[in-house]
Parts: sequence; C-alpha cells; structure tokens
Amino acid sequence: MIDLGRAGAVGRPDGEGRAGGGACDDRIRFTIGLEGDRLAQVRFGADACPAATGAAAWLAAAAEGVHLLDAARLGTAAAKAGCGVPAARAACVAVAVDALHGALADAVLRGARAVRRVAAVAVAMSGGVDSAVALAEAGQDAVGLTLALWIDPAGPDTDRACCAPSSVRRARDLCHERGLPHLAFDLRDAFRAAVVAPFVAGYEAGETPNPCVTCNGSFRLRELLELADRLGSSRLVTGHYARIEERGGVPLIARGTDHLKDQSYMLATVTPAVSARLVFPLGERTKVETRARATALGLAAATARESQEACFLGGADYRDFLARHGVAARPGPIEDEQGRVLGAHDGVAGFTPGQRRGVGVSADEPLYVLHTDVARAAVVVAPRRRLDRRRVALRDVAMHVERRSVEAKLRYRSPAVTAIVEGDGAERTLVLAAPIAGVAPGQTAALYDHGAIVGSGQIA
Amino acid sequence: MSPVIYLDHAATTPLSALAWAAMEPFLREHFGNASEPHAAGRAARVGLEAARARVALTLGCADQDVVFTGGGTEADNLAVLGRLRDGGRVVASAIEHPAVLEPLRAYGGEVAAVPVTADGVVDLDAVDALVRPGDALCCVMQANNVTGAIQPVAEVAAICAERGVPLHVDAVQAAAGIDVRVLPGPVTLAIAAHKLGGPKGVGVLAGTGIGSLAATVRGGGQERGLRPGTENVAGAVALAAALAARQGADAGAERIRRAALRDRLESACGLPGVSRAAPRLPGHALLLAPVRGDLVAHQLDALGICVAAGAACASGSAEPSHVLAAMGIDAPVARGAVRVTLGPETTDEDVAALAAALPDVLAALGRAVASVA
Repeated sequence: MIDLGRAGAVGRPDGEGRAGGGACDDRIRFTIGLEGDRLAQVRFGADACPAATGAAAWLAAAAEGVHLLDAARLGTAAAKAGCGVPAARAACVAVAVDALHGALADAVLRGARAVRRVAAVAVAMSGGVDSAVALAEAGQDAVGLTLALWIDPAGPDTDRACCAPSSVRRARDLCHERGLPHLAFDLRDAFRAAVVAPFVAGYEAGETPNPCVTCNGSFRLRELLELADRLGSSRLVTGHYARIEERGGVPLIARGTDHLKDQSYMLATVTPAVSARLVFPLGERTKVETRARATALGLAAATARESQEACFLGGADYRDFLARHGVAARPGPIEDEQGRVLGAHDGVAGFTPGQRRGVGVSADEPLYVLHTDVARAAVVVAPRRRLDRRRVALRDVAMHVERRSVEAKLRYRSPAVTAIVEGDGAERTLVLAAPIAGVAPGQTAALYDHGAIVGSGQIA
Repeated sequence: MSPVIYLDHAATTPLSALAWAAMEPFLREHFGNASEPHAAGRAARVGLEAARARVALTLGCADQDVVFTGGGTEADNLAVLGRLRDGGRVVASAIEHPAVLEPLRAYGGEVAAVPVTADGVVDLDAVDALVRPGDALCCVMQANNVTGAIQPVAEVAAICAERGVPLHVDAVQAAAGIDVRVLPGPVTLAIAAHKLGGPKGVGVLAGTGIGSLAATVRGGGQERGLRPGTENVAGAVALAAALAARQGADAGAERIRRAALRDRLESACGLPGVSRAAPRLPGHALLLAPVRGDLVAHQLDALGICVAAGAACASGSAEPSHVLAAMGIDAPVARGAVRVTLGPETTDEDVAALAAALPDVLAALGRAVASVA
C-alpha cells in the first residue's frame, strides 16, 4: 500500500522540485519546508505509475526530519530497495528521485545553508570518469555537486531521456554508491547567458571564441564555489588535469603532469581567489592511470566516452549550431591579400585563421586562411609563410603575477612559445620568440611561467 | 492477511472443482501419449476424443472441426497466420485482442480496420462496406476483453458467408459469460480454458474454417497437423468440462446473478464507466476513475482486492488502450480505467468490500494528483 499520508504540498515551501512529463507521462512534485538545515516537512504530489508514486511516498517519509545532506544521500537504489520496486521500473523510481533532488537543490539555490553539520569538501561531478575518480579520492566527508547546463535541444547527440539528463543521474548514482550526498543544480538559463551568448556573439563578430575557457573562468567554478559555501565546504575538488602552484604566495593554475591531457589552458582565466580553493587530485596522474584507477574502483564510468567538443553543442557541428542561433551562414568571396577573388565560400563563420580545410581554391602553393573580414563576409587566404605572427595584441589581460618573459599558449592544442609581454594594463602585446601561424582573434592566450599560469588575455 | 477478494476474472479464473475432477485422472492413471497404440495410449485417446466430442456438442459443430491448441493466443495466431499463407486482404475490428492484431501486423498485408461506436460495438454498416468478395479473412471478436461489450458476430458472419469470406471469431472472453456457437460459413472460433474455470495452457480452435488452414507449427500430425505435439489430454478434458458448465442450460441463472451484482457495484461506486449502453458480458465492468487506474489497482491490491488497470499496456508506458482509443475516449480519461470482472464464486460481500474501499483510495490518490499541479 502506498502511504499517501504525505501527499500534498508544503505551504510557502523552502524548496520545490518537479520531474517527469516525458514519454512515460509520470509527473512528480516535491515541496519541502526547512527548519535550519533539517527537512521539517516533506510533501509530494504524483500523477504517475505505482512505481514512481510509491517511490515518491517512500522518499518523502525517508527525507522528512533529516539533515539536508542526508536527504541528498537518498537515491534510486535506496528508493528501489525501500519500496520493493522491480528492476524494470527503475526509470520510474528515478523520476521521483529527480523531483526530490530538484527540491533540495532549489532550497540551496534559494539560500538554504548547512550549518549544524557540513561537508568538508565539495566535488564537481560531471558523471564522467575523471570526476568519478576525483570523488573516490575525496573521502567520506564530501558532497557531490553537478550543474545541469544548457544543451542545444536540436543537437543530434542530446540527452533527451524523459526526465533528467542522464549525466546528472550518473553523477548522482556515483555519489550514492559511495554513500555520499549529491546535489544537482539547474543553471541552464545562467549558463546560456554567461557562456553560450558570448560564443554566438564572438562568431558574429568574426572571432573564434573558446567557450570552455569562458565557462571555467567566469561561470562554472564560481557557481560551484558559491554553492559549496552554502554547504559549508571550504574546498572544491575537480577532475581537471591541472595542478595548483604558488608564486610568491599567489595560488596559480599549473600544467598537469600528463602533458597530453593537460587542461590548464582551459582554466587560464581562473582567478587566484578561486584557485586558492581548488583541489585537483588528478593533476599528477595520467589519463591512463585514472582509467586504471577507475577500473580498480569498479566505477561504471571507467569506460565512459570522452567529451571533446563544447558540451552545449549536443554533438552538432558548430556551424549548424550557429545557423540555428541566428548567425546566418554568410557566403562570400575567397580573396588573396590583394583583393583578387579566388573563389567563393558558403559561410564566413566556418573559417578561422590558419585553417586550410574548406578553402578549396587551386594555386601554385597551398593557401591558408589569413583572416576573415566579417563585414564583407570575405575570407582572405595566403601562403603558409604569410600567416606567421610575431606580435600578438591582447585585450582583457589579467596578470596574477607580473612577468615580462612568459611561455604563451595561444590555442588549446598548440605548444607554448617563449614571448615577451610588452606594456601594462588590460591591453598588452606579446612579442613571440618564434613566429606562430594561425593566431585567431577571440582565443585565449595563457601566459605560463615554468608551467604555472601567471596571467591571460584575449587575442584581439 | 485476509483472503484475497478476486475481482479480475477477465484475466483468468480459478480452476473449477468440476474441471479439476475431470482432468485429474488424465494427469495420474491415464497419463499415456494419445498417439501410442498401446493400452496407456488408448486410454488417453479415449479421453481426448470424448473431450473433442463434448466441445463439438457444446459449440454446435462436427468433432473433426475441433482442434485443441496451447491456449487462446495460439488459437488466434493459427486462425490468422494459418489463413494468410497466400496473402490477401483482411478486414478486422479496431478492438481485436493483441493475439489477433499482432499476427496481422506481422503478416504485413493490407488490413482494413472496422471502426466501433462510442459504446465499443463494431459498426455493422462499416463491416458491410469493408468486407469484399475475395478478401482472405475477416476478424471480429465476440466480446471485448477490455469493455465487455458484446459484438454482433452473427450479423458479421452472415455478411461474410454471403461474400464467401472466411471469418475468425475470438470468443476467448465471450465464452465465460454468453452463449458461444460456431456460426455458419467458413468460420473459426477461438476459446481458452483458463477464462472459464479451466486450466492455463489449453484452448480450442473450432469451426468448418479449420479445414482450409495451413500449419504454422510443424513437428507431428496431431490435431490434423495444425497443432503438432503430444496432446494435452488432461487440459482438453478440463476445457470440455468447464466450457460445458459455462454454456449449459444451468449457466443462465448464474449469468443473471452476476450481471445484477455488477450493476449494483456500478451504482455503489458512483463512477462513470464505458459501454454501459451496449450489451455486455455479465459481471464485466470498466470503471473510469478520476485518477490513474494502475494506481487504484495497486492500492486496492494492498487492501486484498484484485482488480485490473483497464488501460495499462504491458510495457508499463502510458500508451492508452487501443480499444478505448478506438471508442474515442481521450488518453487522460482512459488512464483512469479500472476493470472489475466478477466470477461465479464472487459474493455480494466481495462487491460490497470493493465499494467500501474505493472512496478512501480515490480521495487519497486525488490529493496526490492535485498536489502536482
């Protein structure tokens, strides 16, 4: 018998979560009332199958009266065992768990704080293998945090399961398997504004933006730290292949030991105030070691697919994405430096300096994109040697530690080159020791000093 | 736990004492293989042929026109796939059981669907318009398993006979509560024992239409080669006994009692239902609750009352019953369907217990639903 005693809604709830409404047509809603960091009252509404309704009733009873972090430990496995649901109905149970967790996260977003008891560290969980291993190293006084970010619903590889994206559920299950609390926050709108909109605007302006750098530097880690604060966690553990190194007392992002996997460039614009609270347990590991560790730990995520492209593209080609988001493909001429038309292209946003693919005009020697003229939708091409740059203008420069001589990395997959930083303030110029071809406006220049990022700027 | 109040006789029935008494000797002393010529085999053969004769007598056909099968679904499959070996057009009602619809889907040829009225009764004018001379098959069930609505199969048989079109009548649900007879023309009729107080795993396909079916299962010459495999003699004997009991002269009073009990239940529950203006199987009610029927069934189950969610499909998705959809009932309304089906052993007290339990169950579930909005 499903106990419907907690069917209903808390008046003026401190948190509210909903789930379902997809193909399965199950809909569950939770409302919670807090007394400090304890769930004084938990109520549910359900228009759902017996498995989902039963799970909701069980979760309401299990969550009522317990600490916020303990309620965040309640997951699909516990609910299934608690109400004796057959394995075939696990998806229905997950809808109820989604709704309860939605209410818990909503309460934290509205300002609920863990006070009487806190989690010492917060672990940023993506559901992938790296964060799974990071979690395993974080000990038993941890809380897993996942941000549900916006994904283009028109992308071909978008998770359109009926209820919550599967990566959020995977992250939650990973935490619950270790008996740890997990909270997932729906920050889709904020992410769109902070990361996706500048990405689109960058291409519109003829630049080659790097949304991952933007996300890490000015969105994701800050949001996670803000949420970690509310749960009393002073430190944030992430699965990045990077390290923290100090220079004169300033904590800096530094290269990971695995140079093939090093993700420090993606963290180039993270400020020292943020770096001071970050822990990178994988920074001195190789990806191979991480996978081996994941297998040894029996983590289901050990074989998970590696994500490479910007997450919000949902597997789409970025040009298709741009076309769907108001950046119309603008065909135009392919010209040489003298303005002679050599051919035509079908969209200026598809070209970035240094690119050869898609140029498709025959000449005595191979031609590469030199730059684009977005006003005229023109792509200007030239032989390889003409692409070389020795001086690179930077804007939005932030130096955490002043250095004249640096190793500058101008793209994620390019080696760093020795450079001198000229000038001061937010606009400076890099003078490169060796020329680099294909310097793309909009990309981030990460400035290293012996492996640690002392500053960064945007290529103007 | 108190004894279960079983109100799901359309799903299956308890084995009747009479069926058990008839079959027990063939599970013990007369265990022989009916195809063997020795004494043990001959004893089994006698039982099997007696069962066949009894079924033929009950259904009004010749002994040779009765084939025992491994159940109702198997009988329906044989009638459909055994008929369509050479292709051809099919006319089938929109409310057929999956045991007919899915073989038709697998068949892949042209199938015209006969619509039903809002009460779930096959539209005879549509049958008249759709069935054409030369069609390979027409399928109309005798009573629907979801709504209990009785179909005008005699009129359909007349139309088919006039045009020389073979007719298959799925009488699996009907045989438990109304008179079932083999109709004139090249007709097949399917019955399952377990809906009648017989055991699971035995059915019948009967009618003169059997003579022109092709085998769909191979491996022996039993049952005219249409159902090869060692005969389930005990099952056949039990089926014959159970069918005779449900179809005999004494069945009438019990049917009237069940229909009256069903009517009292419907008025006591105060819920809307379907097919109430149509002729219905006695003891068959499909109620429309204001909340999901599967939840109502779940909660009643915990109180010791077995009823069926009338619209839930086997996969557990919210896909509404194709029967209710064909009747023009919207999916959100159809989700509230609760099927209550009474049997000969159902008492007034059983029905009263359901009527007493329903209001609290509906009120609590209603609160849960209201709180989602």
